[in-house]
Amino acid sequence: MTMNERLKKIIVEDLFLEDIEPEEIDDEEALFGDDGLGLDSLDAVELVVQVQKHFGVEIKNMDEGRVAFGSINTLAAFIEERQ
Amino acid sequence: MQQPDETSSKTTRQWSGRAVGAGWQYNFFYCMIRIGGRRLAYLIAYGVVFYYTLFTPSQRAKTKYYLDKKFPGKNSFGRFTDSFRMILNLAKILIDRAVTGTMGMAGMHVTLHGREALLNLLDEKKGVILMMSHVGCWQVALSALNFLNVPVNLLMHQEEGDVDRHYFEQHGLSSMFKIIDPNSYLGGTLDMLAALKNNEVLSVMGDRVIQGSSNIIHVPFLGKEVPFHYSPFKIASASGSPIVVLFSYKTSPDSYELKVARIIRVPKNLGRSGKVFSPYVEQYVHALESYTDEHPYQFLNFYDMWGTKT
Repeated sequence: MTMNERLKKIIVEDLFLEDIEPEEIDDEEALFGDDGLGLDSLDAVELVVQVQKHFGVEIKNMDEGRVAFGSINTLAAFIEERQ
Repeated sequence: MQQPDETSSKTTRQWSGRAVGAGWQYNFFYCMIRIGGRRLAYLIAYGVVFYYTLFTPSQRAKTKYYLDKKFPGKNSFGRFTDSFRMILNLAKILIDRAVTGTMGMAGMHVTLHGREALLNLLDEKKGVILMMSHVGCWQVALSALNFLNVPVNLLMHQEEGDVDRHYFEQHGLSSMFKIIDPNSYLGGTLDMLAALKNNEVLSVMGDRVIQGSSNIIHVPFLGKEVPFHYSPFKIASASGSPIVVLFSYKTSPDSYELKVARIIRVPKNLGRSGKVFSPYVEQYVHALESYTDEHPYQFLNFYDMWGTKT
């Protein structure tokens, strides 16, 4: 399973998303906000915790969050840089 | 002060830090304190509050929302005296917080019930979410938490004109606390989580929501449903941090007591729906109701909590 596939599975399963399958998430799709996947600020909290749990990588603050949480691709790149 | 919500900046605020009184009135009392001390300011407060309670129905009406639920069926005189007591307590508390802001805690006695519990929770190294409310004097409460020896992060709007923000800036207390703005990226949640990971205290207000904001559930409070944010409970679930419900109340002209009213543990992996957090929000609300039984006139929400449409 690729990093992107793992992330999509984590987002759907650990964030308890309904009515969407991991493979339906586009690599370039915005994760947060009204456009794209539509995750919210509380999903961000859970995602930070899950990224640390699964990959041992911390997203420490808002600045890092802005970089990491653009899309699946940016999140994967953020994790790979720090592993 | 509000809970994290990335949509909140687009909403209209139903309440305001200036819900009772205007900015110049606060400054007037700051001036009185400097000239004559707290006792003089108290004395003036009695006259000013009596005048406003008697001659400005609009100010009196702001106490009605709560008093109608807390003491239904009171006659006009009873309601007037209740309104007077509520507004007078607010005035005294504003004076007290101005005094502590300008002169520190000298002369103000604060007793904390639950000190050991707080220290033990910090020993767990998961941070502490301190759930405060607009009751008593939460600024005095925070000032008395120095013994914890960890930074205190306040979730606070950075809007001009907010009295709470005004207090911290006026008295230079902003340097003692870290302010997290809920209007920042992702509602400031990443900074909140970082603070908890560093075993710091995150202080949030549990009793107010902004009209139109999300992450709300309705829970009965004093017999009728009121919207409450479940965001702090979700953060507690994700981080494993305990929620400490802390109330303050004035016990004499120069003393306050703080009480750890409840410690709420929110399990992990509860899900995404707000409903799953309902039992934990209810624990907070029950504690708040108990507070209003013990200190009915130190409840300082002067707006219609029950009529808020979200």
